[in-house]
Amino acid sequence: MSPHGNRVVELKIPSELGYEKIAREAVATVAHRLNFSEEKIEDIKTAISEACTNAIRYGSGSDSRMKVVVILTADDQKLDILIKDPGASGVPPEIINIPDINGMVEGKQRLGGMGLYIIRELVDEAGFIEPEEEEDDGNQFRMVIYRVDGNDSEPGASTPGTDNGGTT
Amino acid sequence: MSDDIQVSVRDEDNATIIDLVGDVTTFAEEAITQAYQSASSDGAENIIFNFRENDYINSAGIAILIGVVTEARKRDQKLLMTGLSAHFQKIFRMVGLTQYADLHPTVPDALASLNGG
Repeated sequence: MSPHGNRVVELKIPSELGYEKIAREAVATVAHRLNFSEEKIEDIKTAISEACTNAIRYGSGSDSRMKVVVILTADDQKLDILIKDPGASGVPPEIINIPDINGMVEGKQRLGGMGLYIIRELVDEAGFIEPEEEEDDGNQFRMVIYRVDGNDSEPGASTPGTDNGGTT
Repeated sequence: MSDDIQVSVRDEDNATIIDLVGDVTTFAEEAITQAYQSASSDGAENIIFNFRENDYINSAGIAILIGVVTEARKRDQKLLMTGLSAHFQKIFRMVGLTQYADLHPTVPDALASLNGG
């Protein structure tokens, strides 16, 4: 891809659980073309699945009339993923908690709340961003993953603790 | 766009094996829960969840498994998981699920561990 600069793939999927698999397959195809390692491709597939699932469930209330937009921008070094939803759930969370599985098993925490944590562990950069264009009034979630490790932290290195139960 | 998961229950040696073929997502909750309840009502003490490598598992699916872990603890059952890809073994460790379920590459490996192997 490199001689031609960036490649952009844009998908628009219905806000219905299950359709995130289309984004998952698309990003895998793009990452293969960029020669990402198999391990990183699996990480990206899981991260985009979780991000799209959040956008479907919380950003647009699983209303299949709404759309979730996924924009994949690839260059030689990295894959930049932007996921837009209509923002039906209001302001997205700013803090990503470590899931408290002990609390869940003991019935002190609700089951779930792991999606954003998993994403953060798997990609190099992740977070909600302010829309650049005024007409974009929904949520925008951006993830970046570098073809070669771009940070010092090993994905999965942090240990789940006993804090509260997450945000998704 | 729900994707079917096929869940079946079988006994082998001193364990009950729950074979999962397909996506482990929110759509799998009923099938997995029913299979687990069926195994438990038959008195299973050792339960092996046998995944098919490379199937799709998301955090909603992991939450279902945590629900099973919760029930298994109450019943003093031992849970084991097999067939997971290296990626999903990493994810399961990441969220702490391996505190409650032992991971093994294959069903024979899991059975051997139950028999002191």
